[in-house]
Amino acid sequence: MSAATSGIGPRLRRSTWLLALGSALLLAAINLALQPSFLEPGVMASNLTTFLPLILVAIGQTWVVLASDIDLSIGSTVSLVNVVTVVVIDALGGDAAAIAAGMAAGVATGLGCGLVNGLCVARLRFQPIVTTFATGVVFAGLALMVLPEAGLPVPEVYWRGYAGGLFGVRSVVLVLAAALLLCLVIERTRFARALRASGGQMQAAYQSGVPVTWTRIRAYLLAGFFAALAALCLTGETASGDPLLGGAYALSSISAVVLGGTALAGGVGGFLGSVFGAVVLGLIGNVIFFARLPFEYQTLVQGLIVLAALAGGVLVARR
Amino acid sequence: MRKPILAATVAAGMLGFASGAQAQDSFTIGLSNGWVGSEWRTQMIDEAQAAAEAWAERGVEVETIVQSSDMDVQGQIAVVRNFINQGVDAIIINPNSPSAFDPVFAQAAAKGILVISTDAEVSSKDALYVGIDQQAWGRKAGEWLVETLDGEGKVVAINGLAGHPANAMRVAGYREAFEQAPGIEVVNETNADWDQAKGQQAMKTLLATYPDIDGVFVQDGMAAGAWRAIEEAGKTGDIAATGEIRTDFLSQWTEKGYNSGASVNPPGVMASALNVAVLLLQGGELKDGILEGQYGNALYLPIPFIDDSNVQATYEQVKDEADYYSVTSVVGPDEAEAEFFK
Repeated sequence: MSAATSGIGPRLRRSTWLLALGSALLLAAINLALQPSFLEPGVMASNLTTFLPLILVAIGQTWVVLASDIDLSIGSTVSLVNVVTVVVIDALGGDAAAIAAGMAAGVATGLGCGLVNGLCVARLRFQPIVTTFATGVVFAGLALMVLPEAGLPVPEVYWRGYAGGLFGVRSVVLVLAAALLLCLVIERTRFARALRASGGQMQAAYQSGVPVTWTRIRAYLLAGFFAALAALCLTGETASGDPLLGGAYALSSISAVVLGGTALAGGVGGFLGSVFGAVVLGLIGNVIFFARLPFEYQTLVQGLIVLAALAGGVLVARR
Repeated sequence: MRKPILAATVAAGMLGFASGAQAQDSFTIGLSNGWVGSEWRTQMIDEAQAAAEAWAERGVEVETIVQSSDMDVQGQIAVVRNFINQGVDAIIINPNSPSAFDPVFAQAAAKGILVISTDAEVSSKDALYVGIDQQAWGRKAGEWLVETLDGEGKVVAINGLAGHPANAMRVAGYREAFEQAPGIEVVNETNADWDQAKGQQAMKTLLATYPDIDGVFVQDGMAAGAWRAIEEAGKTGDIAATGEIRTDFLSQWTEKGYNSGASVNPPGVMASALNVAVLLLQGGELKDGILEGQYGNALYLPIPFIDDSNVQATYEQVKDEADYYSVTSVVGPDEAEAEFFK
């Protein structure tokens, strides 16, 4: 117990994602027992389609949390990107060029939201929780202005393309692979080191010449980017605009990040844990479904399982 | 072990098609509820399950699987996908979005699954809507307010959740009614997210800002909150405001003599939808030209209305129920068959 140089604890502190992977595998086994068709390719693909948006939002949230900040506006960012994308596609006539322009406008919107958050929090030194809560309300209000009511279908080629694939590989798999590859590249940059230094000891990092402000802004930009990516996927999944689409993602992405072993205090953790954390949350939904619980208890049991997963992680890591 | 069962099911299904109706007498129906946060929704599910059990008397076994989501569209899409993977015969959904389910409903239809939405309309060509016309709901209550005020006076509106399609339709409905009456002046419209406490707060603020208002248009549970604020301000006799349909509100209404009127969105809509679903699964065909609505896929159910003329009688019927029990009505199998089917 004393120096704790050996044993499972320290290893887990280095590879924080291992616990989330363990929980995910356990839940997958339960899911398989309850739903024998779980491993069929069609069912796996439909599960990935369900999980992908949260995986992407959770990855985005991870960068911000690593810098010891937080983004409560990320769900509203998803909504805003979704409505901007569908409105632009619709306004430009709905052909291939319009779709490309709409997606570009969506990504730009996500980056814009990230920039606003980054400037307010890192540059103007506003408190992150309150600031992103407020910007979240602003983004949600803007989404309602852009598209006051859910609707406005996207061209069929958009959602058929998302439901289909390229060269025999499903679009959702390609998007996930591209996102993970991008994360691996980011992890190899100087930015990733500066991020963990800023999150761990912001004052010390600043004094030793780490560009803390710029690093935190970049983390928020990445959050906005991944939120935009998630919104484009959701647009493919729902084939329409909905100003209330993203609301639930702020807190569920933070849950996924924490389940994935990233410390809310910053500095420790990484995107891989968040991916597994998001998968855990998704699988919990499946298990609840196939366990056929009475509906009055579904929400309660869902909450209890999340709590158990969190508590289990903390207890194992402490040992 | 699964293959033979599957083969048997397919064979039974084909038999059902071959002999027309009535051959299959056992159905599995998935019920998807988009939100658990209200007693109305709980009653909706309870009534649908009761309707499913009642089919046993007619020799039809209807099994229901109930799944709830928490307001989020994507989680509810996942539920629908799981229903499809599970191979249900029909899906009845109270949807969290009018348009977001188009792709997943297309998948369901491709697998021969019947999809019916209730309470909120959906744009999907692959789905049917069985429920009330929310715009007519708003118009009826709006017309009551206009008549009660003799077409003259200052009015405020407390609406539900901005961006929610049912809210938008109700707002369009009361605006339609108010436009017919040039003497009605809408001085303010605000949102209180269908929350009783927020409705009470909004009413308080509105009363403080506009002490001379004559009428209030307010929906659902928020009406109970609004009326409480009206009472606190000592204006019970001076203001006409729309009401709601829960037992505790009806008790206040009759006891204190509110000047109120309420369109009823019965929680029984899902039970009605289930009865229509079973009739369709048995091979029934809808009457021609019966579908209405902006998407051309809506089977509208009657909207009861409560006002001074019948509030006492309505209250007598429900007064032994729990406080949160809503006035309801269900279109039963016989009535549905006579009204909607060939």
